[in-house]
Amino acid sequence: MNHPLLGKEGERHLLLGNEAIVRGALEAGIGMVACYPGTPSSEIPDTFYRLRECGRYVMEFSTNEKVAFEVAAGAAHGGALALTAMKHVGLNVAADPLLTSTYVGVPGGLLVVSADDPGCHSSQNEQDNRRYARFAQMPCFEPASAQEAKEMAKEALLLSRESEQPVLLRTTTRVNHLRGRVDFGPLPDGPLPVKPYKKEPTRFVPVPGVAKVRHRALAKAMDSFREMSEKSGWNTVRGNGKAGVIASGISRCYLNDAIAQGGYENELTVFELGFSFPLPEKKLCDFMRKVDKLLVIEELEPILETELRALAQQHGIQVEIIGKGGPLTIFGEYDTPKVSEALASLLGKPFQPVPVNKPEELPQRPPNLCAGCAHRAFYYAVRKTFGDDAIYASDIGCYTLGMAPPLRTADYLFCMGASVSSGSGTSRVRKDLPVVSFVGDSTFFHTGINGLINAVFNKHNQIIVILDNGTTAMTGHQPNPGMDQDVLGSTANHLDIESIVRALGVTRFAKVKPYNLKASLRVLEEMKEGEGVRVILAEEPCVLYARRTLKKARPQVAYVAEQGASATACAQEFACPAFSRDGDTVSVDDSLCAGCMLCMQISDSFKARKKEAVNG
Amino acid sequence: MANANNQRLRIYMTGVGGQGTLTATNLLARVALEMGLEVTAGEIHGMAQRGGVVESTVLIGGWQSPVISHGEADILLGFEPMETLRGLPYLAPKGIVFSSLDSTPSPGVSAGREKYPDLGMIQEKVKAVASRSWFMHCREMGREAGSLQSGNISLLAAMCASGVTPFTADALRDGIRKFMAPKLVDSNLKAVDLGIAAI
Repeated sequence: MNHPLLGKEGERHLLLGNEAIVRGALEAGIGMVACYPGTPSSEIPDTFYRLRECGRYVMEFSTNEKVAFEVAAGAAHGGALALTAMKHVGLNVAADPLLTSTYVGVPGGLLVVSADDPGCHSSQNEQDNRRYARFAQMPCFEPASAQEAKEMAKEALLLSRESEQPVLLRTTTRVNHLRGRVDFGPLPDGPLPVKPYKKEPTRFVPVPGVAKVRHRALAKAMDSFREMSEKSGWNTVRGNGKAGVIASGISRCYLNDAIAQGGYENELTVFELGFSFPLPEKKLCDFMRKVDKLLVIEELEPILETELRALAQQHGIQVEIIGKGGPLTIFGEYDTPKVSEALASLLGKPFQPVPVNKPEELPQRPPNLCAGCAHRAFYYAVRKTFGDDAIYASDIGCYTLGMAPPLRTADYLFCMGASVSSGSGTSRVRKDLPVVSFVGDSTFFHTGINGLINAVFNKHNQIIVILDNGTTAMTGHQPNPGMDQDVLGSTANHLDIESIVRALGVTRFAKVKPYNLKASLRVLEEMKEGEGVRVILAEEPCVLYARRTLKKARPQVAYVAEQGASATACAQEFACPAFSRDGDTVSVDDSLCAGCMLCMQISDSFKARKKEAVNG
Repeated sequence: MANANNQRLRIYMTGVGGQGTLTATNLLARVALEMGLEVTAGEIHGMAQRGGVVESTVLIGGWQSPVISHGEADILLGFEPMETLRGLPYLAPKGIVFSSLDSTPSPGVSAGREKYPDLGMIQEKVKAVASRSWFMHCREMGREAGSLQSGNISLLAAMCASGVTPFTADALRDGIRKFMAPKLVDSNLKAVDLGIAAI
């Protein structure tokens, strides 16, 4: 197999941070990878999946992050060098095995990659997963460039292999999605060998008597990691200024650019923290003794700040510690101007903000369901059936975008897989409004299925719509058990959602093709009546996936044959992105229309014609 | 402005999801690396793929951060005119703008709820704050070159040929030959010629 990521030592490539992590894993001799996709981590499993035929490792898309973690940890228990990667909230799902894996250890080595999302670019919260390093007690590395992403992934894997303890590589969106130069190191001939299996239940089975002993073993392991952190080349001090500054992760980039821009290099003592947990306490104490005051630059929670304050207090170090405050808040991302302002304040220099052109009030471009998206088609039918007289429990996927007008089919959301179970609770206490829960196919397999089991078990009362588009659409069409067997190939099995739902004991079940509006409306009317768990499987491939992967394109496009109230009402209520409206005139953009022909079923004003070849 | 090879330069790019903005960004960053320039690039995507705004950056000359904040962009490349206007706060004082003049209506504009800004007004507002600016019909150039998305490459080519960056049109051509799929090379090389001719 020929791919730039499999290149030889000495080669130099421009890599995405996430690709660099994959290269680092290959250089370490990775043997097993299991992941559930989630932005901004998705290019890690995507890249491993694309390269899987190189034969160096086994890779699977697992059904959720807990399962992925357990598969990877099981492989590591079995003696292979393993990796699992997930977005920050995914680690919540995997927290249960994580917090015990550090007790029992992982003989083959296990790297956990967490992709945090300060600024919520594509997430429901901006939790700080450096907390997990402390919570679970494991070493943590935080890269700030593509080269470091590669080097740290490799080093962290090898550290895990050697210590038999899980290690965390904590990244943030900007690191995952930056591109930079990466100089390749040597690539081994294949994965590190699978270690011989040694039965040792008094270590690996944490019954209380074992767990208590393992907790002490973990504390001892952390002591040795602390020594490594003291000596690590990733934790550096430079300069002799009486003003100190410390930063970790991507904040190091903002700091170094701000120093270069302000010409502050000679006035500062700079601590860059790359091996960020356990803290190199001795080195940090020496640093704090050298400076009069110390600025701490870390996005999100004041973790480092709090720990430095404790350390200074414990060792009687007189230093003014400046952390959160002014431009450096717990919210969102930092950038060079924010750090420049904080540095100027630290050094008592005047700060002149760059004059900024006034932002314009312009039409927004909110993320939107695609033209031809079957979610839009089914949501339209739901809206026609219930309007505002239902509570809509939503879930994580493209279909969350149903919250926007005019569809407005998402009233609340907690996390992946929560729609069915949260809908159960809501319907139990509210008799005034029916509850309709929406869950996608990948999310159904992720954790939605648990909610359905519970709903049947506890006789809950709700309509559950499984919006099955045959793929994991939001994150880039990764395989899931609902995907076509042809696309999955020989290494994974297709699972039939209908059979599963029926096997769980759901008696009121209907399958519908959302492109058939009449059928959708009829099924919804039927399900509206009566009580209990009612499941509708709305089945139609994601329009992008159908075009790109299944090579299915519809031969027709819609056009407006007759202008008038009917056409404008359809444009308003269905709001397909292929429509455009100028006053009372509605038109359909040929290049965007996917040929779903829902508009024709809504309004007689729309007609179909053969799609002409575009873009010659 | 920046002409020397060691000059630090921040290039901010903005466009609409699904139109090849990120392909253009990635190409420019790879060309920089081929030219021996220090380069960092960044992008924000995810939900932006669904027709949202896609912002990306290419920074050369030793910047470590992939982020460009308000007032920091030496060059703004707008692949869509309303996005050029939205991106103006990112432009540094006396920054330079290259922009497409071919608009993509937003959902609110398509639905008739909002009005797309006047193209003449966009150009005036840009000229009021930029030291130099170029506007061109990228989609038309793309169509003429053989694929709509290659219009983005025309805009890159215009920037390369303008002499305001260390990038050269020849380096861009080499990058297209080396990094793009073989079937896309001819149309994109043609797009380069059209972009050069447009300035």
